[in-house]
Amino acid sequence: MRHPTDGVLRRLLDEPAGVADADREHVRDCPVCLVGLAAAREDAATVATALRADRAGAPDVDTAWARLSTGLAAERPPVVAAPRSRRGAALLRRPAAAALAVGLVLAGAGVAAANDWLPIFHTEKVAAVSIQTDDLVALPDLSAYGEVEVTGEGNPQQVADAQAAHGFTGLDVPEVVQLPPGVTGDPTYQVVGELSGVFTFSAAKAAAAAAATGQPLPPVPAGLDGSSVRLVAGPGVAEVWSQSSSGIPTLVVGRAVAPTAFSSGVPFTTLRDYLLSLPGMSPQLAEQLRSFTGDGTTLPLPVPADQVTSSTADVHGHEATVLVTRDQAMAAVVWVDHGVLTAVAGALGDDEVLAIARELR
Amino acid sequence: MDLVGHRGLLQATAAPSFGARGRAPTRAERKDGFAVPAAPTRSGTVDLEAVFRENYPLVVGVAARVLGSRDQAEDVAQDVFLSFWRSPVPAGEARGWLSVAAAHTALNLIRSGKRRALREQAVAGDTVVPDVADAVVTDEERGVVRAALARLPHKQAVALVLRHSGLSYADVAAALDISPGSVGTTVRRAESALRKELIRHASSD
Repeated sequence: MRHPTDGVLRRLLDEPAGVADADREHVRDCPVCLVGLAAAREDAATVATALRADRAGAPDVDTAWARLSTGLAAERPPVVAAPRSRRGAALLRRPAAAALAVGLVLAGAGVAAANDWLPIFHTEKVAAVSIQTDDLVALPDLSAYGEVEVTGEGNPQQVADAQAAHGFTGLDVPEVVQLPPGVTGDPTYQVVGELSGVFTFSAAKAAAAAAATGQPLPPVPAGLDGSSVRLVAGPGVAEVWSQSSSGIPTLVVGRAVAPTAFSSGVPFTTLRDYLLSLPGMSPQLAEQLRSFTGDGTTLPLPVPADQVTSSTADVHGHEATVLVTRDQAMAAVVWVDHGVLTAVAGALGDDEVLAIARELR
Repeated sequence: MDLVGHRGLLQATAAPSFGARGRAPTRAERKDGFAVPAAPTRSGTVDLEAVFRENYPLVVGVAARVLGSRDQAEDVAQDVFLSFWRSPVPAGEARGWLSVAAAHTALNLIRSGKRRALREQAVAGDTVVPDVADAVVTDEERGVVRAALARLPHKQAVALVLRHSGLSYADVAAALDISPGSVGTTVRRAESALRKELIRHASSD
């Protein structure tokens, strides 16, 4: 089979769901394409940094609107403006934005499902946990350096109500006190069971793959060859509010057991750090993975800086990560409490998702 | 999203190859590097405030990536929304139209040479904090990036900026009237070219 084009490799970084299965599978197993993919990732990251403006943060829309209104005053037809559409409803005409909410919440437990829904976070987000899925294009290095085995039920299923969700997962299902404007109706409940995946390092495969990239294999630490790391996540539950007309999610509140890593032979951190030193791993991804301790206290939730801004906030005494898409279409807040991940996400402002999060029962 | 029929502004601004399949552009005249349609054509049926509030951060984001300056991006956004108001573009197609218009207008600005004086002025007043240099692009570097952007083929530059502003491949394809399959190729070429420019500049220091 011929190699996919550079354009296909580039899209694989952003929208893997938009790439044909045959191409994805080819890239996963092709050292030449993996090198091309790594180069594309590096160029994309460099350009994303280069295109940053002198300051970040959301622009002041009210002030800008007042300015524009002044400019329009002299020429605007004397019409009565239509009622301002509710912000949430307007934003949720964007399926991609809505998909972010669903995927983000399930990321901690149902990565395989989230991969289908979540183009924005897909490439980087599941870096640490994608080992347990069959979609390894986000971490092409790993498929070249060992064996991967996935176990567990990754498909979310719908249950009747919160009580059923609790029965399935054993988790306390969060209760939203007050819905924000633009979100109405009752939620549906989706649950997902425990997922686990095992990555077994192979020094022989690593050496062969490194040779194919033309770079030397870093010295293999003693005892690493044949050692495994098992990542476990879930179960989880997601409450999903959707637009009645389109079915697009408007608000998602989810809870899941946070990913935890177990290793055999050598400490998890040793294996992780060695994997991160292998040729082809982008510095950004390595940095993000290093923050994952694998003990259920941290989130393997790297953020693509060109599309999402992140900050921190306090939720119930825990440091939460607040994510906002750069077009302001989506916001999410995620935090971990005693190994349990909770997330609130939707086509809302960061202040709105934080308000919901802080009022959860 | 089909913008073919509403590219009067865009054709006049910078990219004569765009909208080749579309109808004749609306009457426009060039003024200070970007187009200003000659007369308002908006019928008043669009809730401009709703369109503005929904799309303003995106439009500013697109222009800021081109210009490197949020303040100037906000100026561009004002012009873009004024042009939108004067155009017949339906609200349902506003997002793509506004994104492309912001990219065109900002690119025109850096190509017009007006940016040069502003850039030099900015470099003179450099206030970048050294210890966050890895996270913050300095004003001088921004100047290099903008110069490199200006040298890219126009469609590549627009596709690059739109993609990095969060538009999906489908939206970029629709906005530029190209096939979704070619978006990745266009963006990849632009990124590769831009990175080479940046490396060339860095190695010449």
